[in-house]
Amino acid sequence: MEILQVIFSGLLTGMVYALLGLGIVMIFKASEAFNFAVGEFLVIGAFLFFILFFDLKLPFIVALLGGLGLSGLFAAAVERLTIQPLLGRNPISMTIITLGLASFLRAIVQLVFGAHSYSFSLDLPDLTLEIGDMIFLSEQVWASLLSGCTFGLVMLFLFRTRWGVAIRATSESQAKAMAYGINARLILVVVWSLSAACIAIAGIAISNFGSLTYLTAMVGFRAIPVVLVGGMDSIGGALAGGLIVGLCEAFVGAYIEPMGLIGFKNVAPYILLLLVLLVRPYGLFGTVRIERV
Amino acid sequence: MLLSVENLRVVYHDVISVLHGVSLGVGEGELLVILGANGAGKTTLMRSICGMIDFYDGKIIEGDVRLGGKSIKALHTTEILKKHRLTYVMEDRPVFWYLTVEENLLAAAQARWDREVAKDLEEVYRYFPVLKRLRQKKAGFASGGEQQMLAIGMALMTRPRILLLDEPSLGLAPLVTEELFRIVGRLNAEKGVTVVLVEQNANAALAIGHRGYVMETGRVVLEGKASELLENQDVREFYLGSGEKDRRSYREAKRYKRRKRWL
Repeated sequence: MEILQVIFSGLLTGMVYALLGLGIVMIFKASEAFNFAVGEFLVIGAFLFFILFFDLKLPFIVALLGGLGLSGLFAAAVERLTIQPLLGRNPISMTIITLGLASFLRAIVQLVFGAHSYSFSLDLPDLTLEIGDMIFLSEQVWASLLSGCTFGLVMLFLFRTRWGVAIRATSESQAKAMAYGINARLILVVVWSLSAACIAIAGIAISNFGSLTYLTAMVGFRAIPVVLVGGMDSIGGALAGGLIVGLCEAFVGAYIEPMGLIGFKNVAPYILLLLVLLVRPYGLFGTVRIERV
Repeated sequence: MLLSVENLRVVYHDVISVLHGVSLGVGEGELLVILGANGAGKTTLMRSICGMIDFYDGKIIEGDVRLGGKSIKALHTTEILKKHRLTYVMEDRPVFWYLTVEENLLAAAQARWDREVAKDLEEVYRYFPVLKRLRQKKAGFASGGEQQMLAIGMALMTRPRILLLDEPSLGLAPLVTEELFRIVGRLNAEKGVTVVLVEQNANAALAIGHRGYVMETGRVVLEGKASELLENQDVREFYLGSGEKDRRSYREAKRYKRRKRWL
């Protein structure tokens, strides 16, 4: 029975990672840049929510939507100032910009919020699940629920609305989209905002496990195995990659760490990543290119 | 003239000069053909007209592009398409491969989304019945001819007054090209869309065109009615592969009247 407990808690955590992966994949598809500032986006999103909920004492749902909106605005400003001027240039330059952005934002967060940790307890209704002898903590269930719903909503938006069609078109080729009158610049801003909102949800869910500090940004690195295992340009891959990384962590935590390898849990996803890339360089679900023969 | 290009000079990356003073005009309802070998600057000319030149790191350093008397040189593509209803169909079949055929058409309608989108969709399907059959298929899996028809269908979804077509016959079988050009001719005649057709396939293009220009290394070297161009000795030799049988060397044969077209 213990193995079921491990599997399900792995999947619950994996859902959060999947959402984080989605945030990266969306930007990668649209701007062709890897957003290395994902951890900082996560912390800033969580802090914005923190201010609205704990400092201004707004109701949970208002604070949540407000926090997401502010994160979106913040990402829109970042995109407009740093990425937009490079439109049509080499995407590598944008990737490097996000690296610089990561250091810059980390310093800003430290400057504004300090290096101490903020206790982050949301007091959401208790959703602790007990099935047989399995038990899932309320925080874990909430995190997974929030992430899962967000993931679903974003998918609906991308695949069922005309804005989603325009986003997918722009992601394929900015030049073609522009030629047909799609405002590629606006679409990129929308994509970055959407991505930041997803990352902020993940940030709130993760902070809810305990506390929030500028070091929470380290979770951002976990997004790297998620998107590379799943495939950089595949939305389905982000989901699969997230769940796989979650499972990997849970199994290592339950079976390998007790053998004396404390902390191995944090390394295991990268070893898994290495193995996957050896076999499938584009990740498990990297877009199968349409080849004309 | 509905659209006029006046003494246009364009450079890429600040150093590579591609157009050295091109002037031409397109009348309302006209089907204009622009011929030219590779590297003549045809595509650059199209990009300059539709406002995409800065996306490719190019710059208009002299001259003007005027549409209906107003300069559109400094406008973004989106504005030109929306306000002036000029749509550019890029070369090499600009469709979104990972969207379905119908999604492609809807994506192209995004800029002008209104109540008539469904009606226009039906109209596109009427001009290109093959697209209706393929509507749920990913565009990347369609054949070259179908992709080019889709590209023109997408352009129609933007409701253009002027359509710039960049080498639609690229890589298509002669019969497919013929069918495609017939439809382009119909669009021009029935809907009154002004068409600028950039082509290498001179025969097929001049058969439906009213008037034509020949470009060579960034200049317009020849201009005339389509029927006159078809008869022209040089055009026949270089584009139609006929003319005097005992060929001289290419260099020797280049004897266009290279008149500069300063205004």
